[in-house]
Formats: sequence, C-alpha cells, structure tokens
Amino acid sequence: MTAGAGQVVGQADGEWRAWRQRLVAGVRLLRLELRRSAMVWMLPVTGALFWYNAFRESMAEPAMWNLRAMTMQHGVLLDFAPPVVGAAAWMGSRDGRRQLTDLIGTVPRPRWTAQLATWAAVTCWALVAYCCCVGVLYGLTARQASWGGPLWWPAVVGAAGIPALAAVGFAAGAWFPSRFTVPIVTVGAFFALGFSSQPRAPQWRVSPTVSGAPSIGPDAGIGTFYHYLPDLSIAQVICVVGVAVAALGALGLLDRASGSWLRPIASSMTAVGLAAVVLAAGLAGTARLDPHGMLVIPGLHDAANDRPIGYTPICAHAVIPICLNPAYAAYLPECKRALAPVLAEVAGLPGLPVRMSQGAPVYFGPLNSGFAPSGAGVVIADGSSDGSRQTTLVLPDQLPGEPSGADITVNQFIGQIRLPVAADLIKIMVGVAPGAVRVGAVPGAGRISAASGGGSPAQRAVAAALAIDAGATGAPRANTAVGLAADRFAALPAAVRHAWLATHLTALRAGRITLAQLP
Amino acid sequence: MNIEIADVTRQFGRTRAVAGVSLRTGAGVFGLLGPNGAGKTTLLRMLATVITPTSGSMRLLDRDPGAYAARREIRRRLGYLPQSLGYYPGFTVAEFVEYFALLKDMPPRQVPGAVATAIERVELAGKARAKLRTLSGGMLRRVGIAQAIVNEPELLLLDEPTAGLDPEQRVAFRLLLRELGARATVVVSTHLVEDIGVACGEVALMDAGKLVFHGTPQELTAKGEGHAIGDAPLERGYSAVLAAARS
Repeated sequence: MTAGAGQVVGQADGEWRAWRQRLVAGVRLLRLELRRSAMVWMLPVTGALFWYNAFRESMAEPAMWNLRAMTMQHGVLLDFAPPVVGAAAWMGSRDGRRQLTDLIGTVPRPRWTAQLATWAAVTCWALVAYCCCVGVLYGLTARQASWGGPLWWPAVVGAAGIPALAAVGFAAGAWFPSRFTVPIVTVGAFFALGFSSQPRAPQWRVSPTVSGAPSIGPDAGIGTFYHYLPDLSIAQVICVVGVAVAALGALGLLDRASGSWLRPIASSMTAVGLAAVVLAAGLAGTARLDPHGMLVIPGLHDAANDRPIGYTPICAHAVIPICLNPAYAAYLPECKRALAPVLAEVAGLPGLPVRMSQGAPVYFGPLNSGFAPSGAGVVIADGSSDGSRQTTLVLPDQLPGEPSGADITVNQFIGQIRLPVAADLIKIMVGVAPGAVRVGAVPGAGRISAASGGGSPAQRAVAAALAIDAGATGAPRANTAVGLAADRFAALPAAVRHAWLATHLTALRAGRITLAQLP
Repeated sequence: MNIEIADVTRQFGRTRAVAGVSLRTGAGVFGLLGPNGAGKTTLLRMLATVITPTSGSMRLLDRDPGAYAARREIRRRLGYLPQSLGYYPGFTVAEFVEYFALLKDMPPRQVPGAVATAIERVELAGKARAKLRTLSGGMLRRVGIAQAIVNEPELLLLDEPTAGLDPEQRVAFRLLLRELGARATVVVSTHLVEDIGVACGEVALMDAGKLVFHGTPQELTAKGEGHAIGDAPLERGYSAVLAAARS
C-alpha cells in the first residue's frame, strides 16, 4: 500500500469514527430527552382520550377487522392530536421559555440537532402509546373476530401521522415560544384535523382521518371480499410524511447560529415536504370509487390488489345451504331466520336454487354526495355447468350492532334480507315479480318493487300470494281479479298450496294457467 | 493570544452597545468590570459567538469566528455562563451537565467522567441526582458553572458568575477561577470588584460601550489613590476611572 492510499484509508477511518461518535452522542441526547419529555406526562391523557373516543367507537362496531380498523383510523389521530401537539409545542418552546437560546447557541452541535432529539423523544413516546392503543384494539378484535386478519394500512397511516403532529407542534413552539402557543396550537391542530375529515374538495381525502371513500366510511363490505386497497393510505402517508419533513425543515430555518450549510438543507426539506403534501393531495384528487367500495388512485394502484380474497364459507341448512363469508359468521343465524320461511314455501319445486352463497356488494355513485351498495338483500341467479341454479345473496350494508347510521335492529335486518330475497326467488320460480299485484312492506324493511314484471294474471296472482306468505303484508289490497285470486291462493293451507305448485308450476310459468284455474 | 478583537462595534437598532472595543489577552483570568448597561454582556455574547459584531474584527483561539468550521472549533473549546442562566427544571444536575457535554461534541466515552468532575469542582457531587427545580439560586449558578467547564474549555466566559453565591462558595469559586486560569483564558464579567482583585491577573473597565481601562488590578487600584468614593482600594480605582471617563 502506498503512503497516499494509507492516508486516504486513515482519513476515511477518522471520518467514520467521527460519525459514530456523533451517532452515539445523538442516541444519548435522545435517551436524556426520553427521560424528561413532557409527552410522558401526556401518556395517561392520550390513553384516556383514545379509550373514550376511538376505542369505544371501534369496539362498538361488530367484530370485523375492516370495520374496527377503519373506525380507528378515523378517530385515533383526533385523540392523539391534542396531547401530542401540546406536548411537542411545549417542548419546542422550551429553550425560548427557559432563556436557554443563548447558551444552546454557543455549542458546536447545531441547535437543530438538539431540537430533533427533543422532537424524536416526543414522537417516540407518542408512537409507543399509539402502538399500545392499536395493539389493545387489534388484540381484542383478534379474539372476537370470526375470520380475517388485521388491516395494517389504517394503523400505518395513524403511525405516520404521529411524527407529523409532533413536528407541527414542535415547530410552532420553537418559532413562537410564547405561553399562548401551546393552547393555540393544540386547539388549532384538533380542529384542523377534524375539519379536514369533512368531505369537501376531493383533495381533502388526503387527510389522515379519512378512512376510505368519505361517503361510505367504514363498511362491512370493504376489504372482506376483495383486498383492502392501500392507494388512499399511501397518499395519506406521503402527505403526513411531507408535513413532518416540512415542519422539521422550518425548524432548521430557525437555527441561525449554525453554519450557512444548514439553511439550504432546511429550506430544501421544507420545499420537499410541501411538494409531497401537494403531490399527495393531487393524487387523492384523482381517486375514483371502485366497485368494491374502495378508492382507486390510478397513479398508485397495483392491479394485483384487485384479486378477490379466497375463503371457505360457513353454511347453515334451511331447505338449501345458505353460505356466508366467514367474517359474517355472527349473522348466519339471522340469515337463516330470514330465509327459512321463504325457502320453505318453494322447497322441492322445480327451479329451486341448490345453494345460496353470499356475494360482495357493489358500490357505485358519486364519491362525495352518496353511494349505494347495489343489491342489498338481492338474490342473483347464476347458472352452473350441471344445470342447477346457484344464487348469490348480498347482505344489507347496515349490520345490526353498527353504531353509525341507521342503527338497525336484528328484526329490521331480517326484514331487509327476507323481503327482497323473497321477491327475487319468487321471480326465479314463478317467472314474474310479486310487485305486479301489490306492494308489500315489512316494518323496517325495504318495499317490494311495484314495477310490473309482466306475465299472465295467474302468474302475478301466485307471485303476490307467495310474497304475502313471505311477510309482505300490511299494504292496501288491490280489489281486482288478480288481487282477489292472490288472496284466495294465499289463504290456502301451506301444504295444499305447495302441492298445487309442485304439480302446476311448469304450466304456470309457461302461462298456460288462468286465474280461474287457481285454487 | 486567545482573544484578539480590534475596533469591535455592536449596534442594536440605534443603540450602540459596544463601540470600538479593542482587546488582546492570553491565558489567565480576565476581569471585565463596568456599570449596568456598559456593554459587558454584549461583548461577552460576541466572544461567545452568540451574536456577531456589527463591525470590527475578532479572532478567538487563533481562529476567525466568522467562518463556520472555525466557529465550530471555537465552540468546542468554549465555556459560557450567561448572565441569566435558563435551565430545564425536570433535569437532574448530572443530566443537565451531560446534556451540554454532548452538545459540546465531547467524545461520548469521556462524558460521564467529565460530568462527574465538573459537578465535583462546583461542590455539587451530593446533589448530582437532584432535579434542578429543587435547587436554590446559588446552586443553580454552580450548575451553570459546571456546564461551562465540563469540556475543559480553553476560553471560558462567565457573566456574573458569583451572583447568588454565598461567601463560602465565592471563596471556593475564586480558587476554581485561578485553577482554570492557569491553562485557559477566563473572562469574568462582574459587578463585584473584590472578585476581580483576588482572582484576576488582568482587568478591563467598560463604560457606555467603550473600554475605559485595561491593566492589572494593581494598576486599577493605583488609579483610585486619593479618590474618596468606595470602601475598598479597588472600588476607589473603579470609581476614579469611571469619573475620569465621564468627565
């Protein structure tokens, strides 16, 4: 080795040693700050706020991973914002309040690095608290949920939001070390986050408190049949990381005592952070609702995520097997209760489906003004290769026990399934929809469509009679020949009616039975 | 020379806090005297590289503090006790001194030993684990001195270091000053002329931003001969120089 090469190696070794020393000193600074961070005192407050708001709200949801994770994302940052921003602002204003700016300005280590250690300590404690909160919530959900696993993206968005909250609070405290800074920034951050979750311009979806499409929010159908799309979460993470970087950069601009090297770095960080926020907002603005209720951002979308999730359904037997996604296992008894009377009416008749399986709801509509999961409670008939009929059942969007929205009861839920399923099954079996004769309603359930399905008068009368039997009562009777025939047929004992249908259903479907021929 | 300043001026708006001060000094204890508002603290803040002069030139520890790399080297070798020392009330004495040792870029391995030594030198070893909020004003002043000397500075700037110290502590502090002055330049700004007389080898007197006297304590004492104001000889010299400067 030449002398020159040896010198270069020695120089590199010295630089490495200096870096290592700086790193060790940084770690020790962090350790000191961790011991004395104001965030430690805020941990009980944070825990209490989380329990009062996000935890109770999430745990009130049915034990489904998607509902609880998305509900948590919506509330958790709002719970963490006041204590984290407040503690960070307090720590950020510490040097100014304590008149230590002069002394800190005479040390060789840039004031910025000391501030970063203080900020990191606040962030570490807040993240520990956050992880504990998420751990408790997910742990309990793991014990209660019948199927599935944790959704990590909502948790990641929250975790990425914590450093951003701390950075904003810290920068505000450092820039304005007044006694009023802490309350102003704390209240300001809370309301800013709260208002950002209200649906406004599409770019606002980038707010980390928005979980999924703003008009849908946490929904049982999302992430159950198809993979949870991380598109919006990625945009939100970009946004909050941008906020954190910009705020920390702004902190560096405050450090005038250090060298001129710091200012360009701090300015660049601020610019890059703000650019990331703008980029994320722009990406969120391009989002569109996909049929599975999630937001697709073309610039971030990975088509591999569009695959359906494989699962082994859980089934109950009521004339035919009724099978649900295992995530909905808790609702299988209600589904059976809802469908058993309808299926009993058509049991053994030609054309009866061999199986009823739950299908994924399809979401459509404008993103911000409303949406509709299509076909709640609707049976979609599918042909199969052996000629037997499979049917797909779509459960209502609102589940009993969900605290949000209509807060429906179990009976209402049953009604919401039974009535449309009955209508569709009757249409499949008789060849005409029951709404041709009368409009029925079950309290709390949707009304059977009044649209005429065509068909012969006898078909319409039988369809109406079967609908009455399925629970479509209470509607005014139509005093027509078809209505009277329907009443007459409905009044027959179930066994007689069933025996007649078993004999005459093919002829009825072909339109060869007249009203007079109905018993 | 550890301090070389020539025609240094510092202006805050229309107020000229320091007006054309020139000074050269090497190792030893240097006393900076002057009435309130004379510009002592501003001069010390410039020497501590907290603020830059409006005009004039400065060289500290044979380096130009205007250049970042040199300023950093100066700061590594600098100890500073500001007039009003802030502190983190939740920190213990040891933590506070360790905090500044780390900020002064001391090799992390040396920090625990240096912290213990500094705390011992200000006679606070028994209070090393006490939180700062529990200490008296005098003890806090000693904590401030400990953080200033933790890195064995070559240039130590102390602004009113004996304020709040009891007589016993002041005696101990003067001993410490003499010890530090043996190998470093210690600049002590104070109102208490007896501290200067005992501990300083060189003294300067400032008034209205200007240096009106620079010499030894004996020379200052000599200026007061025959002057009526003041209880001690040094005080009389102080009063005489000020009176002459203002006349």
